[in-house]
Amino acid sequence: MHPVPPPLIRIENLTLGYDRHPAVHHLSGDIPAGALVAVIGPNGAGKSTLLKGLAGELRPIGGRILMPTLPPGALAYLPQRGEIDHSFPVSVFDVVAMGLWREIGAFGSLSRTQRQQVRDALAAVGLSGFESRPIGSLSGGQLQRARFARLILQDAPLILLDEPFAAIDSRTVDDLVQLIVAWHREGRTVLTVVHDLEQVRRHFPTSLLLSREPVAFGPTPQVLTPEMLARARRLSEAFDEDAPECHIELPEDTPSLAATAHAHHADPGHAPAGTPHRH
Amino acid sequence: MKNTRFMQRRLAGLCAPFALSSSAALAQTPPLEVTASFSILGDLVRQVGGDKVRVRTLVGPDEDAHAFQPRPSDARDIGASALVVVNGLGFDDWMTRLARSGGYKGDVVVASKGVKTLEMDGHGHDHAHDHKHGHAADPHAWQDVGNAQQYVANITAALVAADPANAETYRHNAERYGGELKALDAEIRSAFAALPAERRKVVSSHDAFAYFGEAYGIRFLSPVGVSNNAEPTAKGVARLIGQLKKEKIPAVFIENVADPRLIERIRAESGTRVGGTLYSDALSASAGPAPDYLSMMRSNFRTLHDALVAE
Amino acid sequence: MTEFLISPFTDFAFMRRALAGCLALALGATPVGVFLLLRRMSLMGDAMSHAILPGAALGYLAFGLSLGAMTIGGIVAGLVVVLAAGLVTRASVLKEDASLAAFYLLSLAAGVMIVSLRGRNLDLLHVLFGSVLALDDGSLLLIASIASVTLFCLALLFRPLVMECFDPAFLRGVSRWSPVAHYGFLMLVVLNLVSGFHALGTLMAVGIMILPSAAARLWAKGLPMLLALAVLFAFGSGVAGLLLSFHADVPAGPAIVLVCGVVYFFSLLAAPGGLLVGRLPVRHHLKS
Repeated sequence: MHPVPPPLIRIENLTLGYDRHPAVHHLSGDIPAGALVAVIGPNGAGKSTLLKGLAGELRPIGGRILMPTLPPGALAYLPQRGEIDHSFPVSVFDVVAMGLWREIGAFGSLSRTQRQQVRDALAAVGLSGFESRPIGSLSGGQLQRARFARLILQDAPLILLDEPFAAIDSRTVDDLVQLIVAWHREGRTVLTVVHDLEQVRRHFPTSLLLSREPVAFGPTPQVLTPEMLARARRLSEAFDEDAPECHIELPEDTPSLAATAHAHHADPGHAPAGTPHRH
Repeated sequence: MKNTRFMQRRLAGLCAPFALSSSAALAQTPPLEVTASFSILGDLVRQVGGDKVRVRTLVGPDEDAHAFQPRPSDARDIGASALVVVNGLGFDDWMTRLARSGGYKGDVVVASKGVKTLEMDGHGHDHAHDHKHGHAADPHAWQDVGNAQQYVANITAALVAADPANAETYRHNAERYGGELKALDAEIRSAFAALPAERRKVVSSHDAFAYFGEAYGIRFLSPVGVSNNAEPTAKGVARLIGQLKKEKIPAVFIENVADPRLIERIRAESGTRVGGTLYSDALSASAGPAPDYLSMMRSNFRTLHDALVAE
Repeated sequence: MTEFLISPFTDFAFMRRALAGCLALALGATPVGVFLLLRRMSLMGDAMSHAILPGAALGYLAFGLSLGAMTIGGIVAGLVVVLAAGLVTRASVLKEDASLAAFYLLSLAAGVMIVSLRGRNLDLLHVLFGSVLALDDGSLLLIASIASVTLFCLALLFRPLVMECFDPAFLRGVSRWSPVAHYGFLMLVVLNLVSGFHALGTLMAVGIMILPSAAARLWAKGLPMLLALAVLFAFGSGVAGLLLSFHADVPAGPAIVLVCGVVYFFSLLAAPGGLLVGRLPVRHHLKS
């Protein structure tokens, strides 16, 4: 019998939110190394918030996140594009080269091999020839490719992508999805917030359906069923200003939710995969 | 007759206690409240008024009248004064406005009235915030001791009018003080007259000494215009350095309120001596060399004279 | 020609000092100004000239009219304001402009109150601000040292600073240099501003930071070119302004800043990033 490898990420009763209102409410689960997970759900379901929490940008207001086997600096996080200053006079090459930060730090210069690595990364995303262009001259799709090139250089075992395909042309989306699939083949763990359910069905073996509370987590065909999707849609988007305090405490020995290793079968008589239960 | 003289002496003896008590009663009346705009004026008023007046000065020793910010207590105090004395000639117009807003109803005494004024040399002067450019008068009339005598005369007349009971005292003080002023004036005149004409040139950062220069035959050159705030030009500085070097000007002076760094630059490059501090717009603190007008003029006189005499 | 251009500097020591001062400012303050411009903090200079007042006032209270004490006091006050504002920006919903405005206004009010409580009426800020023609040894040494320190720090912090301006979320994700770059930069700004005020006055210190940077921005595509061009414009304006002051008898500080302005206007019209480029007819466009 194979020893079960420890999960890469263990989430214990995690609640993340703003101003005491939960955006992610009591999420527990394990994400094994090498998983390719699509995070889906309606708007306001807490998907971006979850990624922010995993990346360390947001402190949990309840529960915790454990990544015991992950060395420091091994997490690459691609947020949505809001904070970037597009008019800053910096070239595509310089932006992408920042992916090598862990190797060169704040002061090191790029060796010849590293410069070639940058060029290779640009080629991998279809941006050869764009090296000396100012970053502000790139279109939305091209900018996203450049950010993916930077991710390639970061060479991280765990990659978090927050809505990487939002407002991007379909050819770019297809190319970027291919990149993600390639990462998965390389054994990296990737969590991606996606909206296009067709894409999820086609490329993502595992899905986490969030509707503030976890609705379903497991192999995609079992998560993307009409009942699950309908349940998720019943989420109320706005925070309730008069909500009482939440005192749900889960029992200590709640086992982990189904992961791909455990082929968990959902049947009509069984409780939905997301609620706490005993094997 | 023997009897009359005896009677006179008896009467005088009887009257003596009354005379004493009435002068005691007089000594107990409160002093006249006078507010002067700046320290030099304040001193002059004090000299004439003696202990019959209590003088308050708004811009005190070592302070800059340009940057004066009145406080509400100032307006209140002026309003309660019996007399307000200003320099005039655009130096302290704000004082009149402040007095009116504080409720002062009397006449504002312009100390420089009747003085023969000099014109300024074309640069704006920042003392008067609403003056017109070009031909405004230079307000620093007190730098000529002769003019100070006119100031004293105006102040005396005003005090006498405001407080006729003490007119005698005022006139007496004015005469005594006027004598001192006259003596000083003569002393300065003769001392400078003894110097050769080509030695009688100095550079000072504040063009406040036009009256002094005119009265006692000294040429004051400056790197900037009359005001503290005027910006220096490279041409002006270069011209001045050139002149200092060429004409071997003996001394350069730093004024007690202006930025000394420019002066120091000029001095270092031209090799001219730094002669000491000249007091232009304000007295020094009481521990300093110029706590009152006479000391101030004497200090300036000594400083200038020593610098020009030395080789 | 040499008579016109060179002899003012060879004949007069104060002109040479002024030139050295302009060079130091161009090398130290202008690059800082480029980053200020790129981070949309160009108006900070004016705010800082008021923010340093309580520091200068306290220095004056403790040591009298000592320029050294007042300058150091000014630097301390400036640093406190800028670091507090930086902290508020990073930790609250307020952005750079609001947090800086709040602190500099408080600082100015505190300064005015300190000065008036003591009862003296000296125009402190006026005494604190110098002129380019009056640079004594102390002031020259001050701006030269600060220029050296600035160049060194900018070279050191260049990568983190660029990342902090361009993509702060990424920098936060890969390194802990983000606050160092942010606060380090703010401190450099204060140092350069206060030393600039001390040596050259508010107008010139801020003018030589922002105007050449704005002009260079209209020409340059990449950051190294932008920095080089800004420094060139700044120093060139310094030389031209000094010569103008010398030959045309106009005040030196404003002359330098006005030359910077002329360069800026010319750039506005002629440069690829300027006003006319999109509007003039193009003869032949390129094939690809």
